[in-house]
Amino acid sequence: MSKYIERFSTSERVLHWIVTVSFFTLLLTGLGLYSTLFHGYFTLFGGGQNAILIHKISGILFFLSSLYMYFNHKNDVSTFDQDDKEWVKAKGGYLSRDASHFNIGKYNPGQKLFAIFIAAATLVLGMTGIFIWSPTAFPRWIVQLSLMTHGLIFVCSIMFVVVHVYLATIGNPGTIEAMLYGDVRSLWAKRHHPKWYKEVTEEKP
Amino acid sequence: MADTINQGTRMGFLVDTSRCIGCRSCQVACKQWNKLDADKTSNKGSFENPPNLTPELYNRIKFIEKESSGEVTWRFFNERCMHCGDAGCMKVCPSPGALYRTKDGIVAHNKDKCISCKYCVSACPFNIPRYGADDKISKCHLCVGRVDGGLVPACAKACPTETLKFGNRSKLIASATAAKKTLYGENDLMGLGVVYALEGPPEQYGLPSSPSIPMSIFLWKDVIKPLGILGFWGSIGAMLLHYVTIGPKKVDDDLNSKEAGHE
Repeated sequence: MSKYIERFSTSERVLHWIVTVSFFTLLLTGLGLYSTLFHGYFTLFGGGQNAILIHKISGILFFLSSLYMYFNHKNDVSTFDQDDKEWVKAKGGYLSRDASHFNIGKYNPGQKLFAIFIAAATLVLGMTGIFIWSPTAFPRWIVQLSLMTHGLIFVCSIMFVVVHVYLATIGNPGTIEAMLYGDVRSLWAKRHHPKWYKEVTEEKP
Repeated sequence: MADTINQGTRMGFLVDTSRCIGCRSCQVACKQWNKLDADKTSNKGSFENPPNLTPELYNRIKFIEKESSGEVTWRFFNERCMHCGDAGCMKVCPSPGALYRTKDGIVAHNKDKCISCKYCVSACPFNIPRYGADDKISKCHLCVGRVDGGLVPACAKACPTETLKFGNRSKLIASATAAKKTLYGENDLMGLGVVYALEGPPEQYGLPSSPSIPMSIFLWKDVIKPLGILGFWGSIGAMLLHYVTIGPKKVDDDLNSKEAGHE
């Protein structure tokens, strides 16, 4: 058996890192807007007005790339099968030290839910962002609601992203290779995504 | 809140609407002192002009014309920034010093520090802040420079009928109360810096009967913001805790234990 198998193509990886970079640009430019506690982050961008401008530009980039990424993977992340239900029931085995084994396809339900959440969050953040972009062009109540919703969905997003980064790095050693080099070790694939592993390896003659 | 007011020395307006004759000297004096441009307006069939506050108009007289049993009553209302004790604009402003409270309790602003986010527009209970061609906040600052120099604001100086009385806020309130006036804004939002003696219910003047910072703005800044910071550090803490208690899912270890170490 070959030691490595491809998990993400070059274009999938580049797209993911565009989404990542625009997300963290949004985070850093937005922190100073979130609270005066983080006012210092504005200096990274040469002041608050520049930070807002960069926030708007990276917002467009994030909106488009994030939604594009979702639709690229829509078929893989939007359906759940019986094996997924068992994964959910056992919480992915993450709350136990014992080894756990699930017959998971390319993505586990946690990854699927994360993808769906981020896509929905992108939509909401983008739509509310339009009203916040130019508050005097819209009725006050819709801007007020948008400011609140934008903050709320951001908070949810950053918490999910913390979990995402943990599980993709130190929480599951070997995972990050998929996003860095595109290939994962066969052992890793067998262990975490056996159904996908079987599909990929059996396709080949 | 870094925003504290000494209610004893707080300065403010008492606007006795029953004394107003609608001459609009206040509007003109404000324009003159603050070097504000004229606004182009059109005749709307009322003496009220302009019909709304603008970036070049910090205060104006609102004309409330009402007809009842063939008789027309006129009411005049001086519309401007209320200099709230608990100011929504200051709560949401992300740029320290862009909106600030003077030692007299005035909500003043510094255009150089304004970053044009316009959050104050959404947070104001009275829809006062405007943004002009420079994309910076613009509103009544109670002629903070004059007040610092011991003068009264330009509008109060010009008012010929003493409708606009400027001075120690609690003394103005005490004298109005002694004269049995019904006051608006004495205690709302930790006391408005502009207190009105109205001739009718506030709604007649287009004022909210109990003004408050919009609920969504309160949830955004006083609930979601602090909980969000807690949630962020909480999720990082939870991940670290998971790492040292349950631990990562190591591929090799797991396979070794399952397949008796022979791969």
